[in-house]
Amino acid sequence: MRALRYCFDEATASLWRGRGASLLSILTIAIALFVLSGFLVVAANLERQIAQWSDAAELSVYLADDISQDQRLAVDRILAGHDSVVAAREYLSKADALRRFKRDFPDLAGTADGLSSNPFPASFEVRLRGAQSGGDAADRLAAELRQTLGVVDVRYDRQWIQRLSGVAVFCRVTAYVLGGILVGAAVLTVTSVVRLALYGRQDEIKIMELVGAPIGYIRGPFVLEGTLQGGIGAGLALAALWGGVLLVRTRGPQLLEGLADLSTTTFLPPSLAALLVAGGMLVGCVGGFIAARTAR
Amino acid sequence: MIEAHGVSKLYNRSVYALRDLTLTVEKGDFVFLTGPSGAGKSTLLRLLLREEVPNKGTLKVAGRDLARLTTRQVQAYRRGVGFVFQDFKLIPRMTVLENVAFVPRVLGAGSPQMQRRTFQVLKWVGLQHRMHAFPLELSGGEQQRIAIARALINDPVLVLADEPTGNLDPDLSLEIMNLFREINARGTTVVVATHDRELIRQVGRHTITLAHGRIVENE
Repeated sequence: MRALRYCFDEATASLWRGRGASLLSILTIAIALFVLSGFLVVAANLERQIAQWSDAAELSVYLADDISQDQRLAVDRILAGHDSVVAAREYLSKADALRRFKRDFPDLAGTADGLSSNPFPASFEVRLRGAQSGGDAADRLAAELRQTLGVVDVRYDRQWIQRLSGVAVFCRVTAYVLGGILVGAAVLTVTSVVRLALYGRQDEIKIMELVGAPIGYIRGPFVLEGTLQGGIGAGLALAALWGGVLLVRTRGPQLLEGLADLSTTTFLPPSLAALLVAGGMLVGCVGGFIAARTAR
Repeated sequence: MIEAHGVSKLYNRSVYALRDLTLTVEKGDFVFLTGPSGAGKSTLLRLLLREEVPNKGTLKVAGRDLARLTTRQVQAYRRGVGFVFQDFKLIPRMTVLENVAFVPRVLGAGSPQMQRRTFQVLKWVGLQHRMHAFPLELSGGEQQRIAIARALINDPVLVLADEPTGNLDPDLSLEIMNLFREINARGTTVVVATHDRELIRQVGRHTITLAHGRIVENE
């Protein structure tokens, strides 16, 4: 306990004495962890949004104008036979489709009225089960429907969901690669800054060695100094990220109105935030330890 | 207290700092190590502080072969040895009190005992009234007395001093030597390396003269 107190007192005093260099070190860690956690937040929110869109993903089966009753029932039977993929289905007749168009686009309703015939095809609007909407089962269902008599086209949202999923994966990979590089740079910075503090205290270290001070008393303050730098840096990164998330929540909805609901943007889960602080402290600890190894 | 048998210390491949040195220092002795620069005085003190180990021979202090000590044993050994340097090696950002208390602090000693003992040794070297001053506010003689107080705070059985009067004028040098004599009078073995022949003559103790790493006189 006494050793810990000594190390803590010396580490905080050293942080204050070398506050310029310490600040540099803290900022390096903060930037590294901000980039890492920032990409993770973007990826997590994107994945959440994709999951929501996936749940709402629809498959539209457009039917020929001259489809027979039997052919329509055959399509319906195919859909009914895939209840592991299909969550709900609704048949829209040509008249229903025209009504829906007029309701959704009232400005264009007059144009539709001016047409000699109803150009909208009858269709089945199929809501897919979330987990299946991006899967192979939905692909197979679409392929089967395309081969069915009376079906003129099948469209569903898989492609752009796949693209967005790709963006989310890219964000995660970028977080790990860029974060890893920046964390490496942070370790080097902490090592250099702690080593500077160590050089500034050569006489003290020499005296400590000669009086037989335990190694923990000699190296401990430097390791703890690095750990504190890491912890403070991680705290700053989380605070900046929290500020960023708040900004997106308040200003974001105006920017992406109708496309995505940014007001529900989520921060890192508490366990991941705690892990990030622990990671920052570990980064600082490693830097401090590498530097302190030069003290016997 | 100190037994050296055939001790040699070699730097590079052919430069001997000490060559086949054999000597004995009894417990409670006061010994001067003297000789010209490069004679091997400081090397012998470094070996006695276990900063280095001999390339040949054995060096024992209080029956312990210093070359065979583990890291923990070296730490334990050094806690019983006080040292004083020519350049004092005080920590400028610490007050006199903090400089002296630094040793028990880094050895994990309790606070009330530490304060009592620190005040005791400062009183003994006559600087209790300057305990809140910083080293750079003190004269050379005062700084060396602080360094001696720091060396004594652990109640060592052996005190080693490397040119402790090298930066002081003759009057102050004698004053510092008197302190070492007092330390010795309390039963502590004292080894002082100095090239100041006049000082040795004035103090008049067991003197070992080194030249080129060998003992040339032991009187």
